[in-house]
Amino acid sequence: MAAEHHNGMQCNEFDALLSDALDQVLSGPKAQAFQAHAKTCAVCGPLLAEAEAGKRWLEQLVEVEPPVHLVHNILAATTGIDTARLHAPATAQTQASWFDRLRNWASLVVSPVFAVVKQPRFAMSFGMAFFSLSISLSLTGVKLSDVRHADLRPSAIRRSYYETTGKVVKYYENIRFVYEIESRVREFKRATTPAEPAPEKKDNHQRNDNTSGQPDDKQQRNYSRGDSQVILAALPDNPPVVRFASETQATLRRML
Amino acid sequence: MEDAQLAAMLVRRCVAGDAAAWEELVQRYNRRIYNICYRFAGSADDAQDLTQEVFIKMYRTLKSYDLERGAFMTWVTTITRNLLVDHFRKTKQDRMTDSLDTAPSEQEDAMPLSDRIPDHGPSPDAHSQSREVGETVQRALQKLSPDLREAVILRDLNDLDYREIATVLKVPEGTVKSRINRGRAELARLLQRTYKQVM
Repeated sequence: MAAEHHNGMQCNEFDALLSDALDQVLSGPKAQAFQAHAKTCAVCGPLLAEAEAGKRWLEQLVEVEPPVHLVHNILAATTGIDTARLHAPATAQTQASWFDRLRNWASLVVSPVFAVVKQPRFAMSFGMAFFSLSISLSLTGVKLSDVRHADLRPSAIRRSYYETTGKVVKYYENIRFVYEIESRVREFKRATTPAEPAPEKKDNHQRNDNTSGQPDDKQQRNYSRGDSQVILAALPDNPPVVRFASETQATLRRML
Repeated sequence: MEDAQLAAMLVRRCVAGDAAAWEELVQRYNRRIYNICYRFAGSADDAQDLTQEVFIKMYRTLKSYDLERGAFMTWVTTITRNLLVDHFRKTKQDRMTDSLDTAPSEQEDAMPLSDRIPDHGPSPDAHSQSREVGETVQRALQKLSPDLREAVILRDLNDLDYREIATVLKVPEGTVKSRINRGRAELARLLQRTYKQVM
């Protein structure tokens, strides 16, 4: 700025007093000289007007609101304390009961999870899972009402365990008894049946001449038994009547 | 209790390990620091990050604060200003920022600086207090050089006195006053074309 002299004040002196003039702390002869210089100086006059205008523009800027979670983030970044109570108003913090605090804490924990669950893709997945589970239970014959009425006391569970064990053992023993009976009967039949004579070997040439289309005798027999196997016993058409002693008859009746 | 005394007491409690005192300090000063950062950076996201950085640095260096050397707010503002300068250098905003101090380029000769501020709104008489005016002034503020901008912000938006600003900026009070006056005048010139009716 040029150091021009107008009305007893230089431009650099005017520049030094400009802030005080805008703050309205300038008074007396200095203020009069300042105003006189502003009216006559071609440089300082517009500067005063522009500075006043700029100050007015800046006064129109209002204070901006910081983000809601700024304090929370600062505390988390500095002390590492994630204080949930910062989300509530300061006045409510001191008066909040333990139930309110618990509810606030629960809402903080549950809300993010629930927000994720509310998404359509998760809802569809849960629906499909429920549908699959329902079908599986229906196919396996499981009824939820049975489960609901089930006695889950430890004594009842213990009793059910022993009953089930007993049933399994009893079933196993019954199967074993049946096999023993069948085995005895088979042995008895073998013992009471005379040996069957071995069948005669047919001539291969004669068999090949059979063109009737009827199956061979060999085909009508049991395929598991070959020609080379020796028949140990066979039941004739008129088996002989065997008479047992009275003790043997009683034993057989008991077994059957 | 006076603000400076209360701040000093809170600082002593913080240094002693009182987490509640630190929380109270954050509650008391986060708004002012955020506003300084927002007005200087011009972005809410940058302002939030910078405010967090300021408090992190404050938390680490709280023991170094000396009550005898100045008010707590001056100390906090100094930390803020230093971080803003670092941020400014990192983001290279000085290359994009135009100032009256710098000579205009050839492209800028064809279009004055004030013409590059778009006039989106209707007449200022109707919306002088509107949000649009605030945004326009904020955009004009971003066009100021960093030296002028920080001086204007500290004085007109944060109400610091010249002595405190001089301490923060580490320049004499006369320089502070000169920068404030030039900053205000520059801002008015930038907005003059936009709102001729008001001017």
